[in-house]
Amino acid sequence: MPALLIAENLTKHYDDDIALDDVSFDISDGITGVLGENGAGKSTAFKIFLGLLQPTSGSATILGENASESVAVRSKLGYMPEHDCLPSTVSAAEFLTHVAEVSGLPPTRARIRAADTLRHTGLFEERYRAMGGYSTGMKQRVKLAQALVHDPAIVFLDEPTAGLDPVGREEMLALVRKTHREFGISVLFSSHLMVDVERTCDRIIVLRGGRLVQSGDLEQFTKDAETVFIEVDDNRDRLVVALEKRGVLVTSDGHGLYIEGSDESVYDKVRSALVESEAPLRRMAPRRGELTELFRRDGEAGQRDREPDPRDGDADPGNGKAT
Amino acid sequence: MTDVTAVGPAGSEELEGTVFDIGYQSYVGPREGRSRARWAVYKDGLRSALGLGRGPRAKVIPWFFITILGVIGLVMALIAGAVNTYVGPNAAEVLDLPSHSDYYGIASIVFFVFAAVGGPEMLCPDRRDGVINLYLVRPLTGSDYISARWLAFFTVMLSVAWLPQLLLLAGLTLSDANPGDYLLENWLDIPRLLTAGLAMAAYTTSLALFAASFTTRRAYASVFLVGMFVITTPFTTGLASQLAEDYEGTAGAWVSMFNLSNIPVHVNDLIFGEVSLITSVAPAGEFSGWILIGWYLLWTLVPAGLLWMRYRKLTP
Repeated sequence: MPALLIAENLTKHYDDDIALDDVSFDISDGITGVLGENGAGKSTAFKIFLGLLQPTSGSATILGENASESVAVRSKLGYMPEHDCLPSTVSAAEFLTHVAEVSGLPPTRARIRAADTLRHTGLFEERYRAMGGYSTGMKQRVKLAQALVHDPAIVFLDEPTAGLDPVGREEMLALVRKTHREFGISVLFSSHLMVDVERTCDRIIVLRGGRLVQSGDLEQFTKDAETVFIEVDDNRDRLVVALEKRGVLVTSDGHGLYIEGSDESVYDKVRSALVESEAPLRRMAPRRGELTELFRRDGEAGQRDREPDPRDGDADPGNGKAT
Repeated sequence: MTDVTAVGPAGSEELEGTVFDIGYQSYVGPREGRSRARWAVYKDGLRSALGLGRGPRAKVIPWFFITILGVIGLVMALIAGAVNTYVGPNAAEVLDLPSHSDYYGIASIVFFVFAAVGGPEMLCPDRRDGVINLYLVRPLTGSDYISARWLAFFTVMLSVAWLPQLLLLAGLTLSDANPGDYLLENWLDIPRLLTAGLAMAAYTTSLALFAASFTTRRAYASVFLVGMFVITTPFTTGLASQLAEDYEGTAGAWVSMFNLSNIPVHVNDLIFGEVSLITSVAPAGEFSGWILIGWYLLWTLVPAGLLWMRYRKLTP
C-alpha cells in the first residue's frame, strides 16, 4: 500500500527549543493515531504536513508532494484544529459553504456538500443557527464537518474529543470511524487519550519530547501488552512462589493474579505451578492488553531519559512559533 | 441521483421516479483550486464589510455610514438643483456651490470613520476566531488571503466613494435646463470623480487594513484609526498655521502634510485642478503636485506593502 504521508528526518526548531527531532515515519491508508503528551510535537508535525510550518530540516511529503511547497495538494487535505476556529455570527450552513468554496468547489456544489456534510455530522436541523449559540459538542461537530466538506483524501484531527462529555466523545469517535470505513478518507488522529486511540485507530505513532518513540499496528501493541488472569480458591501465595520460581512475572490486584505474556509457554508454566502449589483453579483467561499499560511501562523508562517539553499544541501562523 | 424504472404490464418501460442519495458521499465534481479560493475569500470580505448574511447588528454600522455619505451627495444635488431651478440656469456654478471637486473633502471625515470601523472587520475576526488557520490549510496562501481581503474592502470603499458622486452628477445633470449640454460641457468631471474616488478608496483601505493587522480586537483598531484620522486634523492644522505665521520656510507646510485626512484630498484637488473647501487653508497645498502625489503614494503603498509582507509570512 503506497504511503500517503512520509516524514524523513523531520526536524523543527523554534530558536533553541526542539519541537521535532529527526523524526521519520510513513503513514498509509487507514486511521492512524498520533499519541503523545502535551508538547510531544504532535501539532507541530500536523502543521508541517499541512503546509503551515516549514521544517528546519528533513522533508515532509504528502500525497506525493512536498508539504511546504505545494499549495494545490491542500485541496485534498482536511484539518480539524484543537482550538476554536468558528465565527460566532455565521450559521453552520453558510460557514461550510464558504470553506468548501475556499477548498476550490464551485458555489452550487459547495452548498450541496455543506448540507450533506452537516447531515453526516448530525447538525442538519441546526444548520441555520448562528454558531455562537452552539454547545461544545456541536462546535466540535462543525469543526469536523468543515474538515470533511470538500471530501479530502486525508483529514488531520487534532484532539477531536477535547471538551466533550462521555456521550459526545463516543459519538465523535463513531463519526471518525464511519468517516474512514464508509467514505475511505484516511484519518490522522492526535490525542493524549489512549482510550480514544485504542478504540478508533488501526495504527499508532507515539511521540515524546519531539522524538518518535514507537510506531506500528495497534493490534501488535495490544498483543504485546496481553496478560493471563488467574483466580484461585486457596494457596495463592504458594502459587505466586511457584510461578516466580519458573521466571514468570506476576502482579496481583487483590482479586487475582496477572501474568505477563500470553504465549503457550506461559500456559505450560502456569499449569506446572498450579500442580506444584496445589492451588484450586477457579478461573483462568487471557486478558487483552491496553495501550495505557504499555506506555506506562515505556513512560517510566522514558521519563528517566527526558523531561517533557513545555511546548504545547498550536503554532500561531502570525509569528511561526508554537504557543 | 438514480432514475428508477419499472416494467409495465405490456412490457413497456415507464419512468417511475427518482431516488436522491442525500447525505455525505464522495465528491467527484470539479476542484477549481486557488482561483476559486481567492474569489471565495473576496466574496466573503464583501459580505463581512456590508454585514450581509450576518445578524441585524452587523448591518447597522456599514449601512448607517453608507446612508450618511449618500445623503451628503443627495443634499448637495438637491441644493444645486433647487438653485438652478429657482435662481436661474447655471446659478449653482456661478454661486460656486460645492460640487464634485468639494465632495470628497466635505465627506472625508465620515468616509475615514467608515474605513476605521469597517476595515478591522475584514481581518480581526479571522485571527481572533482562528478562522485564518482554516483558510491557510486550503489551497490559499497568506498573500492570496490578504490580496482578496484588500480588494474586497477596496471595492466597498470605492462603491461608497462613487455612489454619492454619481448621485450628485445625476442631480446636477437633471436639474439643468439641457441635461445633454450639461454632460457635454462637464464630461471631464466623470473621469475626475472616478479617479479621485480610486485614490480615496486605495488610501483608506491600505491604512485601515494595515492598522487592523496588528490586533485581533476590532475596537482597538477602530479607535486607533479614528484617532489617527480625526485627531491629526485639529492638531496639525493649528500647529501648521502657527509655524507658517511665525517662521519662514516650509516647516508649517510639512506639519500640515501629516494631516492624514487631507492627504488624499490634496490628490483630489490635483485631479480636479481646483482647491477644495477643506484644503484651501492647509499650508501643504503650497507644495508641488509631485510632492503631494509622492506623499500620497508613500502613505498608500507602504502600508499596503507592509500588510502584504506580514501575511505572506503566514505560509512557508
